[in-house]
Order: sequence, then structure tokens, then C-alpha cells
Amino acid sequence: MSSFTNMASSATGAVGSNKTVGWKGLANRRGARRAAIGLILPVMLVLYWWLASSRGWLPEQILPSPAYVYTTAVEMIVSGEIAYHAGMSLRRVVYGFLFGAMAGLSLGMAMGLSRTVDDYVRPLFLAFAQIPTLGWIPLLMLIFGIGEALKIIVIAKGALVPMTLNTAAGIRSVPANYVEVGRALRFSRLQTLRLIVLPGAAHSIFTGVRYGLTHSWTALVGVELLASSEGLGYLLVWGRQMFWLDVVIVAMIVIGIVGFVMDKGFDLAESYLQRWKRGEA
Amino acid sequence: MTSPAHLKIRNVTRRFNVNGTALTALDDVSLDIKAGEFVTIVGASGCGKSTLLRLGAGLDVEHDGVIEHGGRRVDGPSLDRGIVFQEPRLFPWLTVERNVSLGLENAAFSKAEKRELVSEQIALVGLSGFEKAYPHQLSGGMAQRAGIARGLVNRPDVLFLDEPFGALDAITKARLQGELQQIWAAEKITMVLVTHDVDEAVYLGDRVVIMSPRPGRIRQIVPVDLPHPRERTSPELAAIRNGVLDILNGTTGEAPKPVTRPSAARRPAASANPIHAAHRTKPARPAFSTTEI
Repeated sequence: MSSFTNMASSATGAVGSNKTVGWKGLANRRGARRAAIGLILPVMLVLYWWLASSRGWLPEQILPSPAYVYTTAVEMIVSGEIAYHAGMSLRRVVYGFLFGAMAGLSLGMAMGLSRTVDDYVRPLFLAFAQIPTLGWIPLLMLIFGIGEALKIIVIAKGALVPMTLNTAAGIRSVPANYVEVGRALRFSRLQTLRLIVLPGAAHSIFTGVRYGLTHSWTALVGVELLASSEGLGYLLVWGRQMFWLDVVIVAMIVIGIVGFVMDKGFDLAESYLQRWKRGEA
Repeated sequence: MTSPAHLKIRNVTRRFNVNGTALTALDDVSLDIKAGEFVTIVGASGCGKSTLLRLGAGLDVEHDGVIEHGGRRVDGPSLDRGIVFQEPRLFPWLTVERNVSLGLENAAFSKAEKRELVSEQIALVGLSGFEKAYPHQLSGGMAQRAGIARGLVNRPDVLFLDEPFGALDAITKARLQGELQQIWAAEKITMVLVTHDVDEAVYLGDRVVIMSPRPGRIRQIVPVDLPHPRERTSPELAAIRNGVLDILNGTTGEAPKPVTRPSAARRPAASANPIHAAHRTKPARPAFSTTEI
């Protein structure tokens, strides 16, 4: 949280708006360069895959060629199969994530604001967090069956843990000096929360949202592997059972891409909401 | 705003508990401040000057003795008492305009009046054109101007300033001192400024309160009977400053010795200031987080 301290010493002074255009151009060029670098490894991986399958290093039943997988992918996109399964998965993640993130935000706020709540809750919560999300499935399956409720709960749990811990840590890290300003200005508790504590904790809360989303997405695929008749996880299991490895690989790629896009989306949303940081050293 | 700003500090003692031992930060301090007066408090570190300021502002109420403002006991912060901290403590996620307007968050003005007051105040501290800038885009001096604007925007009776220029370079500091003096003259607000800079204290103060450390006491109060705005280089001011310096040197119990270079081994290590440490230590019962509200 170094950005909150040493404000007095950050004597940049340059507010000139004429400079921003140049900076933006430079940032874009730098961004393009970094995106290109990020593509190197995936491209190499595909090349290696192509090499491995064309040289027959692995039987074709186990490792289908990239071209074959590509054809399958196109077929599945055209038939709407991908959209259907991805849509089912996304719907579950949205519900589960919202549910878990809301609960995590509330619990994290309670823990961050009150030492007493934290003392009561943290030990159990940490122990709870140590149990992998998938480890909950057998028990939850017995209680909730294998319907949608199970999936939503497992996904929500994935979001709950990082959301809670990051929210609590973010609130803790708001400098006491800032809260004192609120006292001097006679802020009510609600005003202090709204105007000082939550904005001060926003960065950390966003980290929680992003981790929460990633965990939710991972948990989703896990729970769909075990108990589902649609969704991307189901596609994986079904493909394996039928020995359609091309379908398995397509499903894996879609899972990766959707997760990546969601994470990037939140990244953009955060840098928009925290745009006051732009240009800050 | 309603009653004449009259700050009465009577027999005030403040003790801190540092690792089980009681430390007296202020010992039986009495001071009256007239409405519209500019009082500066100067002293070596550890003399309790910042403690006194926090008590006067109502940020700290755990003391013996009486502190009254306008005939009413000071039992917490009030919008009639503004405060400016050494670090400007602007919120980095808000623009200058929004930061200043926080001072009016709980004031009984209409939205339009608030907007008016904020822009007036920003103009007064010379930040016009920077309303939409974020704190990280400001220099140290500009940030402190915004801090002063936030303290003044509600038109308090008294403005407390805790070493407001301590972190600034000499040139910015001199300029801001001059501007603060103008604001004081224009707005007729009582000002209490804590500093360790003797030049600043005599340049700004109608009276200079000199404090001595361990325990914090008022050593002497020196009136500066020169009209504002003052000439920094005037011989009268220099004479007063030298007098204050003499008294201050007396408070630390060390007569200035001829300067010799002690060997590195014998050079005394800088000692930590126990009162500042006391401010930093949490209360004896750490049942709450620092951000608990």
C-alpha cells in the first residue's frame, strides 16, 4: 500500500494535459509489445503439439493433431454446442460467484472493522479455507444432492475465501491517519466507511474479486466433472469417456480462454475504477 | 462561528502509558487564546506541543484539567475547530475539489453553497485550475495548500496547524507562511500553529509560546508586538527571534558550546522521542483495529 504514504514527497507537479497524449501512445506501444511477448509461448506450444502429433510421438487416439482439433472446434461452434455448454457453465459461475463474493465482502468487512469478530472467526475460517474446494463435494453431495444447488455452493465457496481475506486485509491496511481525518471532520461511522475505509481498501478488495473469480471458475469445472450433464466440465468427462480427445482439448481451450477473458475484464474494470492512480509512481 | 473563539486551557496534564510506565507529556499547562489571535507554539521535540494541539482540537480528550472553547468544554472534534496536519493527509482517490469538500460533508449548507465555498477556498489558497487534479499530481506545497483549504472550508473559529510546513523546502515554506498570514488577516480566524522552527514562530505569531520538554511545560510566552504583515528581515523581528532562541536553548539545559568535531564513537546516538512513541503505541486495550470506526 505504498501508494497511500509519502504523499507529501511525491512532488511530480506535472498536471499538463498536453503530455497525456504522448504518454498514452507510449503506453499503447508498450502494451502491444508485451502482448506480443505473451504470445510467444502459446505459439511455441502449438508448434510442439503439431510436431509431436505429426511425428507420431503419441498415438493419435491420445493426442489428436491441431488441425483435427481445429475442425472439431469449428464444428462445435457452428452447431452451438460450445455456446450451450459454456453458457451453462457461465451461468453457474455468475450465480455462485455473486453469492460467494457478497458473503465474502460482508464477512471480510466485519473481520476488517472489528478485531473482536476477527478473533472469533479467523481461526475457523483459515482451517475452513485449507480444505480444497473439491474436498467439500462428497459431503455437500450428500446434503444437497447433485443438482444446481451443489454447484452454486461449491463455486460460491471458491469465491468466498479470497474475497473475505483480501477485504479484511484491505480494510486493516487503511492508514489510521486517514481515519483520524474523518474523526476531525465529524464523520459518522457510515461516512467513514463510505468515504475513507472502502475507497482505501478498494485495491485489495479488487484483488479478492479477481482471485475469487479464478477460484470460482476452477471450482466450477471441478464440480461439473463430478456431477453434471451439461457445461464445460461435463464436456471434458464425456469426451474422455467416449475417447474423443479432440472434444476434451477443445473444452480445455475454451475453459482457459473464458477464464483469461474474465480476469482481463476485471483488470480493465479495476484500472478504470482506480484511474486516480494513473501516472502515479 | 456563533460565540467568540476563545480557547481556555487550564491546568491541563496529559500522561501516556508507555510499556507500563507513565510518561507525562504535558504537566499543568495553562494558556488562554483570544479570538482572532495567532498563537505559535515552539519547543524542542518531546515538549508536548503536538499533544497540546491535539487536545485543543479535541482529537485527544484523555487529560486532567479543563479545555474550553467559546465557553464550552472540548469533548471531541468539532467543525468549529479545523485542523491541518504535517502530512496533508489528502485522500489519493479524490480530486483536490472533493478532498476540500470533505470539510463540508457534515456542514449545514446547501449543495450550491458548498460548491461556492469550496471554489472560494481553493482560490484563497491559490489552487485555482487544479480542482480536478489528484493528490499525486501535486507538489508537496500544493498538497499542503489543499490540506489548509480543507481545514478552512467550514469557516472554523479556530484553526490548529501541526507543523504544517515542516516537510516543505525553504522557499515553498516561506511562501506558504506569507499566504497563511494573509489568509489569517483576511478571514479573522484564530490560529494555533505548532512548529519547531523559531523563525516561523516569531514571523507568524502574535504570541510565541515556548515549551520545555520532559515533562512538557510552558516555559515562557513571548509577545511579538509587530504589525502584520511583517518584514522577515526587520531588526525588531530578529531581536525577538534571538530572544526566543536563547530561552529555547535554556529549555534543553545545554549552553551552546564551541563546535568541535566529536569522534564518531563519541557522537551521541539520536534518541527516540518517547512521546512520539506514545502517540504511535496503541491504547492499553488493543481490542479494536486502528481502522475501527
